Amino acid sequence: MADNILEVNTINTFIGQFHILEGVSVTVPKGSITVLLGRNGAGKTTTLKSIMGITPPRTGTILFDGKSVVGKRPYTIAKLGIGYVPEHRAIFKALSVRENLEIAERNKGELERKVDFIFELFPDLKRLYALPGGKLSGGQQQMLAIARALVPDNRLLLIDEPSEGLAPVIIEQLMHAIRVLADKTTVLLVEQNFRMASKLADRYVVIEEGCSVHTGDMSNLVTDAALIQRYLGVA
Amino acid sequence: MAFWRKTLQTNAGLLIILLLLILLPHIIGLLTGSDPFATRGAAVSWQGTIIEIYILAIFTISYNLLFGFSGVISFGHALFFGMGGYILGLALEYTELTPDMGIIVGILGAVVICGVLGFLIGLASLRLRGVYFTVFTLAIAESFYIFWGRLPLTKGEDGFTLTTLPTWLNPIADRITFYYIVMVIFVLTFLFIRRLMFSPTGAVLLAIRENEERAKTIGYNTLYFKLMAFTVAAMIAALAGVLQVVFNKKVGPELLSVGYTIDPLLMTIIGGAGTFTGPVIGATTLHLLDRTLRDRVITFTPDFALDIGKSWMLISGFIFIIVVIVFPYGIVGTWNRWRAKRRPPITVSSGTQAPIAEKQSG
Repeated sequence: MADNILEVNTINTFIGQFHILEGVSVTVPKGSITVLLGRNGAGKTTTLKSIMGITPPRTGTILFDGKSVVGKRPYTIAKLGIGYVPEHRAIFKALSVRENLEIAERNKGELERKVDFIFELFPDLKRLYALPGGKLSGGQQQMLAIARALVPDNRLLLIDEPSEGLAPVIIEQLMHAIRVLADKTTVLLVEQNFRMASKLADRYVVIEEGCSVHTGDMSNLVTDAALIQRYLGVA
Repeated sequence: MAFWRKTLQTNAGLLIILLLLILLPHIIGLLTGSDPFATRGAAVSWQGTIIEIYILAIFTISYNLLFGFSGVISFGHALFFGMGGYILGLALEYTELTPDMGIIVGILGAVVICGVLGFLIGLASLRLRGVYFTVFTLAIAESFYIFWGRLPLTKGEDGFTLTTLPTWLNPIADRITFYYIVMVIFVLTFLFIRRLMFSPTGAVLLAIRENEERAKTIGYNTLYFKLMAFTVAAMIAALAGVLQVVFNKKVGPELLSVGYTIDPLLMTIIGGAGTFTGPVIGATTLHLLDRTLRDRVITFTPDFALDIGKSWMLISGFIFIIVVIVFPYGIVGTWNRWRAKRRPPITVSSGTQAPIAEKQSG
C-alpha cells in the first residue's frame, strides 16, 4: 500500500539469546500518529530499535516508503529519513543546545532555515540556545531531543515515551508540539501514559509479550472500556 | 578590520602566551645570566627542558584527541611515536639521501606511513568495544616493540644514533633554532586541534564520546569519525616521535615501549582530559617535576638525607595520587568547574547571552 510510510511485518528480534519480539506487525499510514501500547517489557521500545536497526530483526520485513530497511545500519536508516527520539531524553549533555541541533543537520547551513519552526514549537529552546544540554531541565531536554529529530527533513519520527517523568504542564506542551509536527510528518509513538496517547493518536497497536495482538482506530478504543481493561489494565 | 580586532580581542590570552613562548629563551638567559645563543650553559640547558616539554605536549595533545575528546582509549599510542622516530632514523642513516633530503623524506614518510598505519589499525580495531579495543592496541604496539628490539638491521635493543643531521637542525650546535622549530610545530598542533574541535566534526566526536549509539541514530557513521580521529592522532604522534629522535639523536625500541603510552595518558589525566590546555599543563607539570626532583638529595640533618632519585617511582606515584584526589577532573578540568561555580548564576529567563558550552573554556 503506497499510503503506508512504514510497514513492519511479523518481525522476530533477539537480544543475545532472548527472543524479545515474536511476531510484531505495525503499519503506519502517512501523516498519522500511531501509538504502540502495552505493559512494561512488552517489546515496544525493542520494536522502535528494530526499525532503527539498533537491534535488527532476525526474520520478518520492515518497509520504509516501500523499501526494505532490514539489515541496514542505524546511520543509514537515519539518513533515509527516520528520526529517532530514544527514551530518557537522549541529548548530548556536553554540547550546547545549538550544537545538539547543528550536528543533527547534515547539510551545512540548512539549520538557520529550520530553526524558526523549532523555536515556534519550543519557545524555551530559543533562550537556552547557547547553554550546554546538561544544564537543561528534564522537560527542556525532552523538547531538545524531539527538536533534534525535527532538524533533518525526516518523513517518520519514532518517539519513545516522551512523557516519562515529566510534569503535566510540560506534557501538555509536548502534546501540542507533537500534534503540530504531525501535520508535516508521520509519528510512531511509544507511550505509557494512556491519557496522552488517547488524545494524540489516530491509530494504536497493542503489543503483548513480544507480539502485536490488536490494532485499530484510537476513536474505537477509547469508547471500549472492556478492551482497555483487557490489554492495558487501566480504565 | 573589525574581524581582526575581534580576533585579537577574543584570543588576547593566547597571543600573550605565544609572545611569552617566543621570549622565553631570552628571559631565562637574563634570569640565569647566561647566553641563550651559546652551545652550553644554564639557558641552553633550560631550552632543552622546554623543548622536551613541547615534544611531550604535542604527543599528549594527540593522545587527548582520542582519550579526551573522542572517548577512544588506546594503550598503543607509543607505536606511532616510536614508528615516527624509526622512519626518520631509517631515512637519515640507512639511505643514500643527503641530510637535508633525509630530514624532509623522513618527516613526510613518518607522518604519512603512521597515518596509513593508524588508519589500518583503527579499521581493524575500532569496531571493538571498550577494554577489548584497549587490549588490541596494546598488543599491536607491543608486537612492534618486540619486532624493532630484535631486528639486527637497526641494532636490535641498542638502537642506533643519528650522525648525519643537517646543520640547520642540530639541537647541539644550534639549540635555539631547534627551540623555535619545535615551538612552531607545538603552536600549530595546538591551534589545529582547537580548530578541529570547534568544527562540526569536533561536535560529532564529542557526541560519540558521550553516547555513540545516539550519534549513530542521528545518522553518523561513528566508525568513520573515530577512524579519522585515530589517524590524525597517529600522524601527530609520529611528528612528536620525529622531534624526540632529532633532539636525542637516538633511535631505539624504547620509543615504542608501553612507558611512552603511559606518559601521555598520565599527562592527559593530570592536566585535564577533554580540555585544550590540559595536555600542555599536564606535560609541563610532570616533566618539570621529573627534572627538578628526580636527582635531588634533600639533606635534613648531617645523618639523614633523602635521596629522591633512589625512590623516584615511589615518590612520583604518591604525587599522582595526591593530584588525582585534589584535581579529580585534572588540573584544568577542575579549575574550569571551580570557576563555573563561582560565576554568577545564569538567568535563563532574561534571554541574555549565556556563556557557551563547557568545552570552550580552557
